[in-house]
Amino acid sequence: MYLIFMVIGLIRGTCYVIYYNYLKRNIKIGFPFIVHAEVRIIGPGTVSIGKRCVILKNAFKGLTIITFSKNAKVIIGDKCALGGTTIRCFGMVEIGNKTMTAISLIQDSFIVNYDRLGDDIKRRLPASRNISIGTNACLAENSFVMNGSKIGDDCVLSSGSWCNGAAYPDYVLILGNPARSTIPIDKLLRLKGEL
Amino acid sequence: MREFLARVRGLIFITMCKFTRKNVTIGSGLKIYKRLEISGKGRIIIGRNCMVCGISGDPSQYVCLETLSPNAVIRIGDNAYLCAARIQAKFQIVIGNDVLIEEAGIMDTDFHSIAKDRGIPMNEKADKCQVTVGNRVCVGARSSILKGTTIGDDVIVAPGAIVTMSVKPGYMVAGNPAKIFTHG
Repeated sequence: MYLIFMVIGLIRGTCYVIYYNYLKRNIKIGFPFIVHAEVRIIGPGTVSIGKRCVILKNAFKGLTIITFSKNAKVIIGDKCALGGTTIRCFGMVEIGNKTMTAISLIQDSFIVNYDRLGDDIKRRLPASRNISIGTNACLAENSFVMNGSKIGDDCVLSSGSWCNGAAYPDYVLILGNPARSTIPIDKLLRLKGEL
Repeated sequence: MREFLARVRGLIFITMCKFTRKNVTIGSGLKIYKRLEISGKGRIIIGRNCMVCGISGDPSQYVCLETLSPNAVIRIGDNAYLCAARIQAKFQIVIGNDVLIEEAGIMDTDFHSIAKDRGIPMNEKADKCQVTVGNRVCVGARSSILKGTTIGDDVIVAPGAIVTMSVKPGYMVAGNPAKIFTHG
């Protein structure tokens, strides 16, 4: 049963690979691409997704990547599990290998529809800055990664957390909306007696 | 081409509303890129040159305006930009001109009481629960504005914020619960 499920995902994924790699020049997807939900890649920017990525059904929302300019770049590493994520990009978004995401929002500016805004509000909004997420990170449900945040390797974003404009060290648990406190996971496991 | 189709869809929606829904009045120049769903018996007033849109290809992204009682009023000003917004009113929601709402929820009721029977909340009154949003306000994605708040002019609500208290004009708010946020 599991094998049939995987084969259906693989066939669906190969259709997406053929469609995006050969019909759209700016998008590249690595070959074993297993898809169980919809994938939408919209916009003129360049998008590259590594090998062996999996898109699972998270609340029936697939992967959505939107780029707003030709300079926008979205780079996703190998072996990622991206279900339900929405990425909206003006500048650059980098995601490392083996990253897991749930229904989370990765957005490198506060407000997306810039062309409708007045000049006063545009001046007050923080400028869009690049986002980088390290390898083996885990973004839990309803987590927000906003402009300028740099998340280290092996980090865990707890559900509902909101990070903006700060660099977080490796192997910590990030908490809160807005995220101000971080707990080293080594310490947490020692307290629980698991290490 | 897409803009022309959106204008045609808007014109059809306005004429449909004139004949079938007497409680809805929409100004000229409506553009519909995604589905616009209006339900309920209350009064809904939308100004001129409004735009309804969302992420293309995602069926769950549509604009929903719902009135939960016959006395409810939703009033949206001119040049509003509704991007997969959900607005649900039991009493009154007034939204100003040149507003941008992205994938956020605005509601002026709790829907259920916190008592064990989960019935209708008893101590909600129209003057305490109504929501007013000022002119030139930006509301970020996945944020929600709860009952009894008044948001002043030129306010920016950051994505993911949950607004429970009133906000003075000209500030930026973020977080849960939303507090004044200065970018550092």
